[in-house]
Amino acid sequence: MRWLALLFLFLSAWAQSGPPPDLSPEVFAIARELRCPVCQGESAAESNAGVAVEMRRIIAEMLQQGKTEAEIKAFFVDRYGDWILYEPPRRGATLWVWVLPLVGLFLLGLGLFAYFRPKRPLPPELLEEAERRLKEPPA
Amino acid sequence: MTPALLGNLGVSLALAFSLLGLSLALLAYLQGDGRFLRGARALVLPAFLAALAAFLALEWGLLTHDFSLAYVARNHATQDPLWVTLVTPWAALEGSILLWGLLQTLYTLLASRKALDPWRASLVLAVLFGIQVFFFGVMATIASPFQTLPNPPADGTGPNPLLQNHWMMAVHPVLMYLGFVGLSVPFAYAVAAMVTRRYQTWVEETRWWALIAWGFLTAGKVAGMWWSYEVLGWGGYWAWDPVENASFIPWLLATAFLHTAIVQQARGAFKVWNFAFVTLAFAATVLGTFLTRSGVIMSVHAFAEGPVGPAFLGFFLLATGLGLGLLSRVSREVRDTAVFRPLSREGALLLGAFFFAGWALVVLLGTFYPLLAEAFGGAKVSVGAPFFNQLSAPIGAGILLLMGVGPLLPWRRPRAEVFRNLYALLAALVLGTLLGLLRGYTFGASLAVGLFLYNLLAIFLLVREGVVGRVRAGLSPWGYLGNRRRVGSLVVHFAVALMGLGIAFSQTYRLEAEKTLYRGQAWAVGGVRMEFQGVRALNEGRRFAVEALLRTDRFGEVRPRLHFYPQMNAPLPSPKVIYTPGNDYYFLLMDFDREKGEWASVRLIVTPLVFWMWVAGGLMALGTLYILWPQGLGAEAREVSPA
Repeated sequence: MRWLALLFLFLSAWAQSGPPPDLSPEVFAIARELRCPVCQGESAAESNAGVAVEMRRIIAEMLQQGKTEAEIKAFFVDRYGDWILYEPPRRGATLWVWVLPLVGLFLLGLGLFAYFRPKRPLPPELLEEAERRLKEPPA
Repeated sequence: MTPALLGNLGVSLALAFSLLGLSLALLAYLQGDGRFLRGARALVLPAFLAALAAFLALEWGLLTHDFSLAYVARNHATQDPLWVTLVTPWAALEGSILLWGLLQTLYTLLASRKALDPWRASLVLAVLFGIQVFFFGVMATIASPFQTLPNPPADGTGPNPLLQNHWMMAVHPVLMYLGFVGLSVPFAYAVAAMVTRRYQTWVEETRWWALIAWGFLTAGKVAGMWWSYEVLGWGGYWAWDPVENASFIPWLLATAFLHTAIVQQARGAFKVWNFAFVTLAFAATVLGTFLTRSGVIMSVHAFAEGPVGPAFLGFFLLATGLGLGLLSRVSREVRDTAVFRPLSREGALLLGAFFFAGWALVVLLGTFYPLLAEAFGGAKVSVGAPFFNQLSAPIGAGILLLMGVGPLLPWRRPRAEVFRNLYALLAALVLGTLLGLLRGYTFGASLAVGLFLYNLLAIFLLVREGVVGRVRAGLSPWGYLGNRRRVGSLVVHFAVALMGLGIAFSQTYRLEAEKTLYRGQAWAVGGVRMEFQGVRALNEGRRFAVEALLRTDRFGEVRPRLHFYPQMNAPLPSPKVIYTPGNDYYFLLMDFDREKGEWASVRLIVTPLVFWMWVAGGLMALGTLYILWPQGLGAEAREVSPA
């Protein structure tokens, strides 16, 4: 029974305050777009850290109060800043992350276009000149 | 002899042999003297054996629980199961560098056995020895796997629990490293070709090595996706995590090379692209290691952080500078002069390669952006899955579109009858998409159905063309299978189309819900009805497990678990996944009543077509293996010859 005691030691470290709330698919759709503030690159939907569990609970409550997805996201942005959003906003410091790939792709496309552009044929005078030289005996 | 002694000896000898080999190989090239080349070749095997000795020394230290080794004390515990102990060398930084170094010596050994002219052979050996010098130099100085502790602990902490949870962890890193290290050989070949200014012969030889590396990278990535699906408990397979991105970039660039290389083989063009893609693919593996092992980026994968960041960054700059510097030196000689039409096989291949390279650029920018924003503007920003998904979807669709039409187009310019095929393909694409829309799918999912049918038809048309051609020529239709490169690439292309379908549906139609169930309570969700019957605790030695007993109407009793590891303060959910060809049912135990076991919080994730992602991954590996299988060329030659 020693291990049972050990298990309870773990369990006490992992505080419990009643059963967690039910979470609808909408909660996860929103939580997936939000960063878990304490985790290494996980969203609030994936993580099991206390903060993420709490965030899911807050989202569920706000949805029940009839708040929209935008309002819920704004609530978290107020608390943590834009950093909490996994989709960087298309303004300010994160505008460039959207613009740069498009610029890059555009430049790649431009290069490709130049590559495929039919090359203009040489002017006829030049061709004639070259032909004439070929026929001449070497000097 | 102790493990530490043997290990340090192995690392030092491997470093010494590599340094000596590098010098001899360079001398062989500069002096044009075959004796130096023979000398360099003779050092390949000793370097491999020294690296093997070092690797076995680490295994020895782990198996004998030698906690005087810092690496063993940090990553091993006496009660670890045997298989976990055996794979612990790649559970953390120093050990994985050792594995990397060992595989590098193995590839050098294999590459040195291939026949090449003496000039290129010396340069290939010089580059590969140079890479070995870097890895064993790092191990000998800043990241030694054999550092000892003055006061060894009685027992260690064991490896990260996430790594002990699934046998895939034994396989996935080794496959990844085989892929990463494999890209060093094409890089060495490219450097040799550019220095000796021989631009044509290298591409056939290099493509073979690149395909090996690509096959391992693909298998490694799919294995990693499956591991994260089965273990991380989030029900997904791809999170656009920096570590995933770091290994996706070399994969994309290697894929681009495999496609442009075909054009050089057939038409002698695209030499610049080939050199550039090979260099960048290799450099990207080093950059990825820097990114993920230096601690500069937060990642769920940060199992193996350490002080090696600056060293890898320097090595990345050196490799990129060497490759691109040489390329700029020879750029006049390798420039394409012919006229290219977009509507030709080479046009489609180049366009495809640009899609892969553009994708690599997008992933690179997204991954580095938070780092750059913080370094220059001081702003903390997040760039995550929603960003990568939005930009990747159109690129992926473009690739699927090119994949169908490309192989059907003839070289140079299309003939009139080709257009009939193109119209048929277009019809399949439109019909498939309409069918999807009529069934009520989203536009993206409908387009995925259309693209899948379109690719299926393209493959059918190609096979028919090949088989009909053989029958007309009086050959057995089964001989088509002997054209390993064509058949293998068709298998891979089919797998990619299948994966595209799987990605589109699993990303669009994922259902995820969570509910607290009291004993005897039932929950019907996502087409399943489950009844909670209680929890059970189990002692499994190195961990405790708590499982929920759920009786379902469709799958009998399902028992998702929570694992408690002494090293971790939070429990790890261990999902129970029911795979079916239609939907995957992913059961998770999130929490339970710790006093009486009266309730449990259960999450169900239903994801369509994930099953086919693993099938597609397996097919990609099989298709690659089919191309690489020896005797392929011989059989092909026998079939074609009239006798």
